[in-house]
Amino acid sequence: MSSWLDYTINGLIVGNVYALVAVGLALIFGVSRLINFAQGSIYLVGAYIGWVAVVQLHTPLPLTIIVVAVAAAIVGLIIERFGLRPLQNSVRIAPLLATIGISFVLDQLVMLTFSPNPRALPSQLPDVRFQLGGGTIGPLDLLIAGVGLTSALLLFVFLRYSKLGWAVRAASQDRDAAMQMGVDVNRVNQAVFGIAAALGGVSGMLVGMYYNQIDTAMSLQATLKGVVAEVVGGAGNVPGAVIGSLLLGLVESYGVAVFGTSYRNLFAFLLLVVVLVLRPNGLFASARQAPPEPLTGTFIAPSRPVRIPRWALAVAAGGFAVLPLFPVSFYVLQTLINAWLLGMLALSLTLVAGTIGQVSLGHAALLAIGAYTSALLSLTFSVPAGLAIIGGGLMSAALGTALISPSFRLRGHYVSIATLAIGEIVSLVILNWEGVTRGPIGISGIPPLSLFGYDLISPTSIYWFSFAVMVVLALLQGRLLTSHLGRSFRAIRDDDVAARAYGLSLNRYKSLAFIFGGFAAGVSGGIAAHLYSYINHETFNTQQSILALTVVILGGLGNVVGAIVGSVALVGLPEVFRIAAEYRILIYGIVLLLLVRFRPQGLLGTI
Amino acid sequence: MTNASEALLALTAVNTFYGQAQVHFDLSISVARGHIVCLLGGNASGKSTTMKIILGLVKPRSGEVTFDSASLLGLSTPQIVRRGIASVPEARRLFADMSVRENILMGAFVRNDRDVVAQDLDRMLTLFPKLGQRLSQRAGSLSGGEQQMVAMARALMSRPRMIVMDEPTMGLSPLYVDRVLELIRTINQEGVSVFMVEQNASLALEIAHEAYVLQTGKIVLSGPARALKDDPRIRDAYLGGSEAA
Repeated sequence: MSSWLDYTINGLIVGNVYALVAVGLALIFGVSRLINFAQGSIYLVGAYIGWVAVVQLHTPLPLTIIVVAVAAAIVGLIIERFGLRPLQNSVRIAPLLATIGISFVLDQLVMLTFSPNPRALPSQLPDVRFQLGGGTIGPLDLLIAGVGLTSALLLFVFLRYSKLGWAVRAASQDRDAAMQMGVDVNRVNQAVFGIAAALGGVSGMLVGMYYNQIDTAMSLQATLKGVVAEVVGGAGNVPGAVIGSLLLGLVESYGVAVFGTSYRNLFAFLLLVVVLVLRPNGLFASARQAPPEPLTGTFIAPSRPVRIPRWALAVAAGGFAVLPLFPVSFYVLQTLINAWLLGMLALSLTLVAGTIGQVSLGHAALLAIGAYTSALLSLTFSVPAGLAIIGGGLMSAALGTALISPSFRLRGHYVSIATLAIGEIVSLVILNWEGVTRGPIGISGIPPLSLFGYDLISPTSIYWFSFAVMVVLALLQGRLLTSHLGRSFRAIRDDDVAARAYGLSLNRYKSLAFIFGGFAAGVSGGIAAHLYSYINHETFNTQQSILALTVVILGGLGNVVGAIVGSVALVGLPEVFRIAAEYRILIYGIVLLLLVRFRPQGLLGTI
Repeated sequence: MTNASEALLALTAVNTFYGQAQVHFDLSISVARGHIVCLLGGNASGKSTTMKIILGLVKPRSGEVTFDSASLLGLSTPQIVRRGIASVPEARRLFADMSVRENILMGAFVRNDRDVVAQDLDRMLTLFPKLGQRLSQRAGSLSGGEQQMVAMARALMSRPRMIVMDEPTMGLSPLYVDRVLELIRTINQEGVSVFMVEQNASLALEIAHEAYVLQTGKIVLSGPARALKDDPRIRDAYLGGSEAA
């Protein structure tokens, strides 16, 4: 049993690593009011560049650090110049989505170049431990602490004494006023992205050395931890980000000491949600007003939706309904079943993100809740699959809404962060609550779909079942949108202050949207559980949340038909073109980037 | 009015749109060298957009904007600032978490002559003596009137040929309103041309040489301030609403 001092040292060291990521996020948020979801990918790139330098080029340690910092900075500059600068005058959601797309592309490129298998990243330092009080400390710990402190010092000097540093601070407090002082905001952005990327890259390399292992899953985790630390410290607050990081490192380390390793991330995300709910400006924010987040109306691209005549929709639906009567291959039906399942998730997300403007990044959690509920109902209580799926939908509606409700008071980016964290929490609870969810083993032997006592096993019957469920949900949602309820939803999205002034209760309407959306997603998850017959805590992951978001943006936010068209397109087109599985995520990332840049309102337009 | 050759700043036939909505209709304004020119108008008349056009924060759809006979269109805001236009934005817009000293020095961002900048800072402290004790304080902690002083000092630090001000007296106590108007006159006497946007017509006309009245994007009245002050049409044009406010 290690001593408490060891856990403290470990917490501070890990906190130092988080700080390198979080400071970059804080700088970028300060200047651009943007959460850079690609920060973790730069961290990943840094780790792999470090690997190339150490293992293949045999560079000495100081040179390795410089190589990683410079290479990562170049990646950051490229992201700023080609990914984000063209979006300067577009809606506020565009850069956020672009960083998500960039992160997918970078992660996949690393994976395709280096394979997803973990690699060892030796630290090149002697393996000795020094006694320190009751604990021990090694040279790598000292290196990480040294890099952390040096970076903090350099950053302080830069911000306090250099002209560009002054420009960064001025721009982060009032961008327009800074421009009126002659500050070139593009140069400030470049500087900030370059610095953030250099710090992030070095951080990734140090973590790789610390655990002597790097793999492509590091990316998302780093982004999440950095965001947690940054928000805890107060978004855009650089010293706050450092303290938030150290705090996060300590909380995690002590949490691990008491409860075990698998709880590490749970503590991080719980800390985030608590801070978001109680002190959305971070722990150290002065009593100033909430950060100048935009009203949601400017967050989402306005547009005129494409009108599709009812008869055309009816013909299309009829065509898909009779499709199995024709000699189509099992493969086509299977693909379309996947599209219908994704379609239900997209219906849910397009309502929540598009119609009422709460851009959720954790929607896969609703799938997971529905799937686990349905699977456990049918396995443990022998509930017929048809009913169990409805139970899954209801549970998703209830639990999902309850989990998200504390963050109803948040806006814009903060909603996305909160939903991302809640999604992670659901997955971690599933992993750790072994008594109910069977933990990491997952649930196997889930009975097949059935309806009124008849098992649905043939692809044709599964196809009809999932298609019918999706059409019913779509019709309900279409009806909902044309009612006064739909109008109220859109009013809240476009201007929540005005909506509230007209007497709309934001919480009630957001709850209604999440209840309806939760049900659709839960049903989708339930059906999936019975189809797959095996699920675990990773079956429904963040990648699926992002895929659903891409679908919804492709179809047009809030657009019911668009959600379905988007699902068919994103599931179907890779099949049509026989794109190998490992390239698919890359394609999705590129699709997202192109959409954001050239058609933010999607194919059919936002409603 | 002034003829084109002595105009330092000139907007000619400017049409501006926000999406579908037209904000300016053939707007033409000129500011003569060494003059104080005031743009009057009620809410939503397009005053602040005029400021943004001059500073390059909004691009007009058609028309011409020249400063010292050279076009400003197509230049970025920082480039325009380097041409010699400084601004006192609406509601001051100080860098709230930076100190007063840092705020004032930010005004000299486009300059590279460090020693002279230090002398200019001293000069600002004689012009705005109250700021002397506040130098290391957070700018956000100052009162509205003090913030206005900082904003003016900040604008002067770039040694501009012209200052544009958006409602410099807004939200200030009567005492500070007089002080600010006095300072604008002093600045002007030192050779800096001033273009200011104001709602408070009677005060603005006290110090201005010329004035324009803007109503829903069109100039409805213009001329020497002295003449406009007694013009009954100015009340009809917009003062009625302002007096009630």
